[in-house]
This record gives sequence, C-alpha cells and structure tokens, in this order.
Amino acid sequence: MRYPHIFSSGRINTLATKNRIKYAATETNFNTPDGFVTEREVAYMEAQARGGAAIVTTQGAYPDALGEGKGFRGTMSIAHDRFIPGLARIAEVIKRNGALAALQILHCGREGGVDLDYCLMPTVVPQRLSYFKPPREITTAEIKQAVKDHAAAARRAIDAGFDMIELSGIVGYLISTFISRYTNKRQDEYGGETVEERCRLMKEILGAIKAETGDTFPVGIRLCGAELLDDRGGNTLEESIESFRIAEKAGADYVSVTVGWHESSSSVITRDVPMGRWLWVAERVKKAVTVPVMMAFRLFLPEIPEKAIADGVMDFWEACRPMIADPDLPNKAAREKISTVVPCIACNLCFSRLYYHQPIMCTVRPSLGREGDEAWGHYGFARAREKKRIGVVGGGPAGLQIAAVAAERGHDVTLWERQAVFGGSILLASRVDDGEEELLRPIAYLEERCREAGVTLVPATTCTPDLLQGMNLGVLVLAEGSLFGPCVGSGHLTPDEIIGEKKRPGKSVLIAGGDGVGLAVVVYLLRTGDHHIILIEESGRLGRDVSPFYLWRYLQMFKQRGVEVVTRATLEGWDDGKASVASAKGERSFEVDDVVIASRLAQPSAREAFASSAAEVFLIGDAKRPRRLHNAIHEAYRLGMRV
Amino acid sequence: MIPIIDGEACTGCGKCMEVCPPRAIVMEDGSARIDEEFCEECGFCAAECKVKAIVIPFPRGADS
Repeated sequence: MRYPHIFSSGRINTLATKNRIKYAATETNFNTPDGFVTEREVAYMEAQARGGAAIVTTQGAYPDALGEGKGFRGTMSIAHDRFIPGLARIAEVIKRNGALAALQILHCGREGGVDLDYCLMPTVVPQRLSYFKPPREITTAEIKQAVKDHAAAARRAIDAGFDMIELSGIVGYLISTFISRYTNKRQDEYGGETVEERCRLMKEILGAIKAETGDTFPVGIRLCGAELLDDRGGNTLEESIESFRIAEKAGADYVSVTVGWHESSSSVITRDVPMGRWLWVAERVKKAVTVPVMMAFRLFLPEIPEKAIADGVMDFWEACRPMIADPDLPNKAAREKISTVVPCIACNLCFSRLYYHQPIMCTVRPSLGREGDEAWGHYGFARAREKKRIGVVGGGPAGLQIAAVAAERGHDVTLWERQAVFGGSILLASRVDDGEEELLRPIAYLEERCREAGVTLVPATTCTPDLLQGMNLGVLVLAEGSLFGPCVGSGHLTPDEIIGEKKRPGKSVLIAGGDGVGLAVVVYLLRTGDHHIILIEESGRLGRDVSPFYLWRYLQMFKQRGVEVVTRATLEGWDDGKASVASAKGERSFEVDDVVIASRLAQPSAREAFASSAAEVFLIGDAKRPRRLHNAIHEAYRLGMRV
Repeated sequence: MIPIIDGEACTGCGKCMEVCPPRAIVMEDGSARIDEEFCEECGFCAAECKVKAIVIPFPRGADS
C-alpha cells in the first residue's frame, strides 16, 4: 500500500475514524440569503461524503440571529431551531455515506456583517481590504451573548445529528481577532498583554460548548499557527503556538493548524508556495499538544501528508481545495489511481468568487455545484441517444475537455494536435514562474481521461479540411486557441517565441497588451534576465483576467523592478527601433530593442475554412474569444454535454 | 447569477467594462449591457459600479 499512514484508522476523543483524511470546511455561497440549506449544498456535501474521507466538515454556519457573524451572502445559519431540518439533511447524507459528520460554527467577526453596515472587532483597528464592513467595537454584553450563541449552536448541531463540532478561529474571524495582539487592544478582561488573556473568549466558547455537549462529544478548533502579520504587530510565533496549548486545556479534542490572515503580505496558498511549505508550523503545534493535529494548506498530493503523518508532524490530512476539485480524492488515493485525480491548481477561483457574492466555481471541475444534476455527469455521464463521429482540432484544455466528455457519452472521438505534446497555451503558462509547472497537471489528467474514454489522440498533426475529407464527421469542434495580434510593423516577437522558443529580446523591450499574457511575458523576462520593460495596455487596468491572489505579487514585482506601465495606450507603429504609442496623453515614442505583441485574437475564420467538414461545426475556448483557463474548460465541458 | 444592469441608473462611465475578465460588457446608447453568452458571473462589475447600477440577484426563499 502506497499510503499506509493516511489509510490507517485514527481517533478523536471517543470516535474512531476510518482513515486520516478530513474534508475541511469551505463556504460555497450555495445557500439561501436567509440562511437555509439548499438542495445544491446537500448534493455538494453528499459528493464529499461519497469521496471516502473519514470526516466531512460542513461550511461554517453563523451562530447569531443578526448575522454579525455571517461572512458570505449564501452562508448557512445555525442561529435558530428552524435551521435544524436543513442541517440535519447534511448530517444524514454524510453519515449515510460512511463518514463522520462535523459541523463547523463560524463567527466571521471583522469579516462578518455581510448584510449589515458594520462588522464587529475586539478593538477598532483600521484595515485596507475593501470587502470588510466598517468595524465597530464589540461590547462586553455582546461578547457574553456570542458565547451563549455558540453554545446554542452546538446544541442544534447535536439535534441535527452531527458527530462532531468544529470552531473556526482563523484568518481574521472573531475568535482570531481576540487572540491576536494586532486586533485586540482591549483594556477589559477579554484583552491583555499575554496570549492567555487574549484567549479568554476562545476558552469561554469552548467551555460553553463542552458544557452543552458533554465530555465525550468531540469538539475541535481551527487556529492560526503563524499569522504572518509581523509588519502589523501580530502575534509572535510562540504566542500563536501557545494558543493551541490553551485550546487543548480548554477542552479541544483536536486542533487544525492554519497559516496567515487575509491581509498577510506574503503568499500562503498560491502556486509559488511549494507543497508542504507550512508543515513546520504543524510540527511546532504537534510538539505543544497531545490531541490530534490536522492541517490543510498546500498538501495537494497524498505523498506529502503521508510522509508528514509517518514522521509524526501531524495526525490528519485536511483537504479543502483539492477536494473541491475532486471530492473523490480519498477513494482515488486509496486505489492508488492518482493520475485520475482532478487536480487543484491553486488558482483560487473558488474562494475569490465568495467575495463577489457568487457561488464557488472550480476551474478544473465544471460539475462543482451541479453534483445533483445528472446532466452534469458528476457520477458519470449517461450515453448520448445517438452515437456520432466527432472531430476535435486542438489539444489544449478546451479540446481535451470536450473530447473526454463526448467520448464518455459514447461518441467516437478523434483529436488532432499540431504540436507533439498536448497542452496548448498552458505549455507556455507553465514556464512563466515558480510553481507554474503545476498547471500541467490538469493537462496530464485530461489526457488520461481521454485515453480511458477511448479518444483517438493524434499529436504532431496539423488538421486541415483535406485531412477530414471522407471522414463523415457529425460534429467538428475547433479549439485551436488564439493568435497574437494585431501586429503593427514587422519584426516583433510573440510570447510563444520568448517563453516557448526561448528567443532573447534585447535589453529594452516594449510589451503591447496588459492582460494575463502580457504580464506573464514581463514576469518571465524579469525572472530570466535584466531588461528595461515598457508595458502598454489599452484599457485603464492591468491584468483584468489575472486572479487577485496572483496579481498583487506581479504588480509588486513590476514596481520593484522599475517596469514602466502606460495604460490607455495602443501601439501604432514599430519601425527602426522606434515604437510609437498613442495614449490619452498624446502620441509618445519609445526607443526600444524589441516589441512583443502580447494581445490575443480569436480565430473565427477557422469556422469558415472547416464549414463543410462536418454536419455541425463549433468554435470554443480561446479560438472563440481569448479568455481564461476556466472559460475554456467549462465551455468545452458544456458543449460536450450536448453534442 | 448574471448581474442585472439598471440602464437608468448607469452613467456609462465604463468602469465595469474595464474589470470584466471575459470582456462581456458592451456600451450601448450610453449605458452598459452584458453579453450573456460570455458572462461568467464573477460579479466584478457589480463590485466596481460606483452608482450601484449593477446588482447580483440571489436565490430567494427557503427550500428546506
């Protein structure tokens, strides 16, 4: 067995666990604005339970009637008995599928009050994140009420049939703001110079919950092991580790170790952070407590938590994003079929949508949030009524995705790719920055899925209308990606020449196009050489298609390295070392060694060229309109569902 | 959910167009319109709109 430690049984208080995997809590925004559980949420949680984790945790439910603790518009509530029937449905589907059901209670504190015009903090400390409501200091009476609310929530969780309760005190949520010296400057009994004093609210909540549940009912807590707030006067590492010891003393039956706050000014969960980077924090906590220690945070591949458990660094592997991407991850790990895991790429599309009041989506798993709808094929597709011969031109993410889905529905699918390897534009993206090779995982996974479904994969072959003659195709899908353009003058370079063919531009370079591709070229050039770079962008904004989780770091790098950014500007000409640029401030001229065209164009003319090659011809992905990875994958998946 | 633009309230400033990742917003007769074929329901436009002319409908009512 490849993962003997992950698949050994564990124990939390009186409960035995079938393995060491816990699906960690995540908000979904699937529930109603008044806090009731929806069908969509139940179906999602059922998928998580069927995936084989020993413990499945609900999203954090807010415990207060006013919604001061509510962080997201579609969060479920546990503030009244009327919510128990909906919560009971979640407990039931988890337990019916052989997992332990854990309910998380989450008061979002300064990240709460989503429907209100304020949020609560121990002390009003200014902050810059635009998502937060204006803070108000929580009164002593309100603190006492919050403790009561948590205890009442615990009682409802038991009534709803849950096996365990989890408290969340991380990233800036209520409990964490009391523990941190950054946000707790109170003079009353809930503040203080020592972490023991600042943990008073946590201790009172744990105590009140334990009084409600009894000693043998497992109650765990998520806390921050390293706030990464040194620049703002946050807790020292020793104080953070001490908070876990205090939680154990106050009755916690397990602890989950997290890292960073939402305003930490360093990367925590993005691809530039190597997998396993934060295990040292879990190890510090493990040395401080005797109860089981868990961790999520960039432990995407099972060999990493396997080794961590074997080495005594932690006891349980918590999977959040990896199981959003593939709820079946535990089962696939147990069967040692890792190549069939839908791989999370840490793009954080899921989380970032929450802050815009939208339900979570997953770049690599379009069926997220549609698990209960058979047409979306989460548990496998029904066969198409009529079997068709389908051709796919282009083996990037869109082409591979539609080929896989169409073949799984019973169609006879052939895919042609011009290059010797599959991946399309992802091949370039995977070479831009540290950790970006992880972007190749979905390509490898889709290739494997195509092979399993019986797709005929034809690499290193340019597909032409001539090649398709006599094939009698019912459907042809054009997914050849975008072209770089529009071109101005001649002798310019393109991103595929620089990143793919490693052509070195001269010292000074003008890059036309400030979307993700243009930013990628800048990042690549800055990492691999010393250049003076001018980046011009037509609109007023750089990187509109780049995840905010990544964009801030790129922009910081540009500033440090002196990249000259000119917005509301277009390249008009490029001749004899002079690039003329029309901008809002008038015509400008830049003397540069090279110009890179990093803007992209769709390829609508391909549809005309192949118009008579099949009964139906579709254009998808970047070929239809250059966009992001999830657009390509989702568009392809949806077309695959209906051809 | 696809955001809804109140054409009366929209001032046509174009801020929403600039933040729209799939470029799904077009300006017509001085007010913004969403091309639903390309909208990916990210909500960036609604967050950006200074006059709150863009709202995101949210499913109403309890079903449990």
